[in-house]
Amino acid sequence: MADANPHPTGTASRDNVAAAVETGDVVLSHLHPQGSFEPADHAVPTGLEEIWRFTPLKRLRGLHDDATLTGDAYTVQVDADPAVTAGSVGADDPARGSSGYVPADRISARAWAETDRLFSVVIPREAVVDKPTTISLKGLDAEKAGAGHVVITAEPFSRSTVVLDYSGSATWVDNVEIVLGDGAQLTFLSVQDWDDDAVHVTSQHASIGRDAALRHVAVTFGGDLVRFSASCDYTGPGGEIDMLGLYFADAGQHLEHRLFVDHDAPHTRSNVDYKGALQGQGAHTVWIGNILIRKVAEGIETYESNRNLVLTDGARADSVPNLEIETGEIHGAGHASTTGRFDDEQLFYLRSRGIAEDEARRLVVHGFFADIIRKIGIPEVQERLLASVEAELSTTVGLPVAT
Amino acid sequence: MAAVRACAMAELVEGKPLAFEVGGTQVALVRQGAEVFAIRDECSHAAIALSEGDVESCEIECWLHGSTFSLRTGEALNLPATEPVPVYPVTVEGDDVLVDVAHPS
Repeated sequence: MADANPHPTGTASRDNVAAAVETGDVVLSHLHPQGSFEPADHAVPTGLEEIWRFTPLKRLRGLHDDATLTGDAYTVQVDADPAVTAGSVGADDPARGSSGYVPADRISARAWAETDRLFSVVIPREAVVDKPTTISLKGLDAEKAGAGHVVITAEPFSRSTVVLDYSGSATWVDNVEIVLGDGAQLTFLSVQDWDDDAVHVTSQHASIGRDAALRHVAVTFGGDLVRFSASCDYTGPGGEIDMLGLYFADAGQHLEHRLFVDHDAPHTRSNVDYKGALQGQGAHTVWIGNILIRKVAEGIETYESNRNLVLTDGARADSVPNLEIETGEIHGAGHASTTGRFDDEQLFYLRSRGIAEDEARRLVVHGFFADIIRKIGIPEVQERLLASVEAELSTTVGLPVAT
Repeated sequence: MAAVRACAMAELVEGKPLAFEVGGTQVALVRQGAEVFAIRDECSHAAIALSEGDVESCEIECWLHGSTFSLRTGEALNLPATEPVPVYPVTVEGDDVLVDVAHPS
């Protein structure tokens, strides 16, 4: 009995602590476990899993199961500065996987496995490109599900803007990789302006180099169901990301945004700010934010926030901000979430100044979104977004178009 | 759309909900003696199929979080669900069970 452990409970608690904190090389996010390229490694979701419980699987057209993804009913148009290389390349291109992304769910893994081409955009080293590179994907048939892969490489010390513009009618899944070299600055915009019958599941991952800065903007207006996952990690200290988002759900639409910032390098910064409005019966938005601050990520600063404005009865907004913190040696970390209806006091104030009620409502919604829109920093995009907000308001809330 | 045949009376089992698709709507049918009740086959809380739950004294229970709904009115009887689930008129003609999904109550 000499080698019996005299403190069995002490050992158990030490094991528990070791399991709870980062002691090895690998620490897993509780909400974003280790991914896999192999679709078979991801079980077919039942709807009860934490990452699937908000998504109406019945409306996914079998994408999460084994629907074929060979459809080619779409067109792609590219508008790019001559300095930028943009085009389709083979799956053996080294750009594929260069962000270090590993598919986190079954749909993403299936899209990865099914694509034999990828669309590559390269902004050369030290190039400063004023003209936004625009890739427009227009779906032609929602009956034919298709898959895609986009890799955007911003080489070191380049500065540019890339816009991914989705429209039309489609059942579409894709992976988008964004790679920022050291010191690169990139504004990336993903606009989901689909027709009402589109289903779109996208997984975007950014890898941010030393002292590089990414402004990642998601704009989701259209589609029957959009599930938008975006994640980022850092390959060196000093990297920054601003993740901005704007969505407007009408009756019957399901718009889901899932954000994950993996702070795996010290002195990095992230700011996640999403705003959405909902109107009409069955309009449903989901926002899941997660920040993982690894033990090495000392001196980082992060904040995530989500605001939802519910304009009519019958709409539902789910909003879940998360923080997973492995070190306290940081500059700051916080999160916030609000979901509410029109502020009666704001409306009362505007009406007391002689503004008609319709106009007052419009002003409140504009003020709500303008805050995000002006941070995008691309004038033509800002104008288009304000016009889209205007169109949404006139169709469902019944507000007349501003004159 | 008028009432549509969902199934034969003989297919239904006393007190055991069964799932059917009627005119594009997922419906859970429950037989209680001579009566048949039709309720939308989805809980108003977390999108779980009610047909997988238990029925007791004219109430159907969602198995995941335990909300119960009245089979007569669709009313949510306890938390976490707060919104009612649509229930549909059922008529039995001979051996046919007809459900009118166009007129929920």
